[in-house]
Amino acid sequence: MNKDWFVLLVLLPPLLAFLLMVAGRRILSKRMTSLFGVLSTGISLVFSLVLLVSSLRSGVSLPDWEFTWLTLDKKPIQFGVTLQPLNVLMLVIVSLVSFLVHIYSSGYMKDDERFTVFYSYLALFTFSMLGLVISPNLLQIYIFWELVGVCSFLLVGFWYFKPEAKRAAQKAFIVTRIGDIGLFIAIAMIFAKIGSFELHDLKGAIEAGKLSSGMITLFAILIFIGAVGKSGQFPLHTWLPDAMEGPTPVSALIHAATMVAAGVYLVANTFWLFQASSVAMDVIAYVGGFTAIFAATIGIAQTDIKRILAYSTVSQLGYMMLALGSVGYVAGVFHLMTHAFFKALLFLAAGAVIVSLHHEQDIRKMGGLWKKNKGLGWLFLIGCLSIAGIPPFSGFFSKDEILLSVYANGRYGLFIVGVIAAFLTAFYMFRLFFKVFAGSHEPKTARVPWSMTGPMIVLAILSAVAGFIQFPTHFLETWLITGGMKSLHGPESIAWIPVLAVIVSLLGISLAYLMYGVNKWDSRRVAQAVPWLHQCLVRKYYVDEMYHSLIVLPLKGFGWLLQVWDRYVIDGLVQLCGWISMRVGKIGSTLQNGQAQTYALISVVSFVILIVSLLAGRLFG
Amino acid sequence: MNINGEFIAFFIFSVLAIGGAVFMINLTRVMHMALALAFTFFSIAGLYVLLDAPFLAVIQILIYTGAVSILMIFGIMLTKHKDEDKVAPFTVHKLLSLLGVGGFLAIVIWIIYRNPFFSTGEPQAAAFKVTDLGKAMFKTYMIPFEVTSILLLVALIGAIVLAKREEKK
Amino acid sequence: MNITSYLALAAILFSIGLYGVITKRNAVMVLFSIELMLNAVNINLVAFAKYGIFPSISGQVFSLFSIAIAAAEAAVGIAILIALYRNKGTVEADKYNSMKG
Repeated sequence: MNKDWFVLLVLLPPLLAFLLMVAGRRILSKRMTSLFGVLSTGISLVFSLVLLVSSLRSGVSLPDWEFTWLTLDKKPIQFGVTLQPLNVLMLVIVSLVSFLVHIYSSGYMKDDERFTVFYSYLALFTFSMLGLVISPNLLQIYIFWELVGVCSFLLVGFWYFKPEAKRAAQKAFIVTRIGDIGLFIAIAMIFAKIGSFELHDLKGAIEAGKLSSGMITLFAILIFIGAVGKSGQFPLHTWLPDAMEGPTPVSALIHAATMVAAGVYLVANTFWLFQASSVAMDVIAYVGGFTAIFAATIGIAQTDIKRILAYSTVSQLGYMMLALGSVGYVAGVFHLMTHAFFKALLFLAAGAVIVSLHHEQDIRKMGGLWKKNKGLGWLFLIGCLSIAGIPPFSGFFSKDEILLSVYANGRYGLFIVGVIAAFLTAFYMFRLFFKVFAGSHEPKTARVPWSMTGPMIVLAILSAVAGFIQFPTHFLETWLITGGMKSLHGPESIAWIPVLAVIVSLLGISLAYLMYGVNKWDSRRVAQAVPWLHQCLVRKYYVDEMYHSLIVLPLKGFGWLLQVWDRYVIDGLVQLCGWISMRVGKIGSTLQNGQAQTYALISVVSFVILIVSLLAGRLFG
Repeated sequence: MNINGEFIAFFIFSVLAIGGAVFMINLTRVMHMALALAFTFFSIAGLYVLLDAPFLAVIQILIYTGAVSILMIFGIMLTKHKDEDKVAPFTVHKLLSLLGVGGFLAIVIWIIYRNPFFSTGEPQAAAFKVTDLGKAMFKTYMIPFEVTSILLLVALIGAIVLAKREEKK
Repeated sequence: MNITSYLALAAILFSIGLYGVITKRNAVMVLFSIELMLNAVNINLVAFAKYGIFPSISGQVFSLFSIAIAAAEAAVGIAILIALYRNKGTVEADKYNSMKG
């Protein structure tokens, strides 16, 4: 059987669903809409699983297929599909999470008036994201890259009547745009240099040594800037926490599991490019490591449940970048996968918490939910344990891989950073957990529908067991590096690293328990002991404020200047032209007053002027 | 310049002509204006005599001082006038007219006095007789003379048609 | 006597007539002024006939034609004026503004 068409069956249902919902947004009922959405992503999921199975079974990468879209200066620009193991893995992750989120949304969004619009955006996003992860060339990647950006913008600003949501949507769009420009420049330069958008052409050019190392570094850094924007790495991370103004399923799907991982995916997908430049690898590793610990420290002091998760996402994405920068290709992708599961779980659980607490998002006002909803508590706990890296949950294995590859790569400083970040992660996640579920509060809760609980259970199971595809058999690694990436073998495991990681995580958890679980140590006293630090963390290191005063305000001032210039000088000139014409016209129409005598007068005066000008030479000569 | 009879006559007639014209412009009552104009026409007839054109002088008196002035007076009487032509305020229009016409006059005078073509010494003083005029008229300018008669006929009919009261339909 | 004197006189009369044509509000006065201008031209013609570089009787003949045509013009002008007066009810030249664009 020709598998080529399967990928279309993965790709097209969400697009069809999107078109259907856009066309029928007035007539489709909510039930029909959610049915279409779930069905289309379900088909996608089924066929991506088929692809996964065939990819696993064949032992080699599935054949690519491409067609020429247009020819530019005799250089074909192609569209197509590539099904390397990484692409197939991403297909499965995206379609799976998307499928679950579609189901979840039917419960979470059931009271929203623009239900159909929401589902159409979700479908469009799913289509774009699936398109992104199977793109064989940079141009196609860029198109889908921007498409997911648009969807992110639309969905963050879905509740556009809230001013914060509107602002957050704009911020998300503009900040990621900065990164996109880097990517765009990279693509343009690559095309100028090697005359092709194809990734394998670029790879061939690098392997043939056609590009100077400086050029490779430049390309790699520019592509990485794109990834920084999309994946919320420092210094472009500020949009991601603000993006939590969007509906919670969106946060789970786009801003935790899939789209923000696109940056990591992009780096992983062009990993040979980065490998060719040690400078680029260093940049990735240090940016990733810094982001991991930077976001983790901010996460400690936040009070909004979704924002904590958002900073945790930023931190985990930093982890993945750190792994990739330390030649931990498999570790990065592995963590991408496990993170997609447990972070989606956490977000969906957070959504459930928000729903059951009547849309309360401030964790200081929460507590005691454990008694009311034990099931939800367990699900949340699984997510927390997974992200904290407690065996046997999946986060443990992937985080262990990352720390191992960082250590094996000889980046000991970053290794320590990673360990501290792991500690902080465990601490703030369990701070969140205890704040929400422990305590003597007796909150009034609303029922969480099954459509929401079901996807969470699936994700919880995956979070719990997904780690075992890499342990103890290195199954994932073997599969991922089929097709010539032999250099990406992970290092031999070192026994004390996982032990250290677990100890550190347990320390974090215990600290959180002591401070928030049983209130043995008063967290406020800690905050008061170092008020400046606490304030600094609450204000997220003043990054937003810094951007505001360093970039936004000068730009606003500049824009104001331009506006003044435009309004008073350009417009003034335009209006002057109009005014002159109008005055001339007015004078003309006054002259055309139908009075023969006026005409005669004008004739006489003109005649005199004419004669004088003709005789001027003689008069004054 | 030697003061002779011709000069004195020219001086008197020209002063009368210009005076009549200025009065025509400045008087307020229409009828007075018509009279002032008739006076100017009469003075011009005197100038024609000085210029050796006695026939033209007679014609001038007959047609202008007589016929045209009477025609104008009829025109005045047939149309209604606010008899006192109000002294119009001095407007921009008038100022511009004054400047324009003044400039025009200055240029013409300047041309007249600067151009050597006009001031070539003493005239030949060709003495014309009325018979010469008659010969030129009815020999050299026969056809134009006849055409002029047709023109006058057309003007006569046209004036009647124009001035005739329109029939009520 | 010099031709320039006659020409200057004619120019003055012509200018006065021109001023009248441009400024007079009464249409009858405009016609008067036109007659004055025609007369000024006639003076020129007759003066050239006698004092020109090539004296000729033709100047007087032209003057005659001019007088004839001026008479016709006066007649037609008055007729038009009467017709206009009948239609517009006025002889004020600045009320005749049907040419207004």
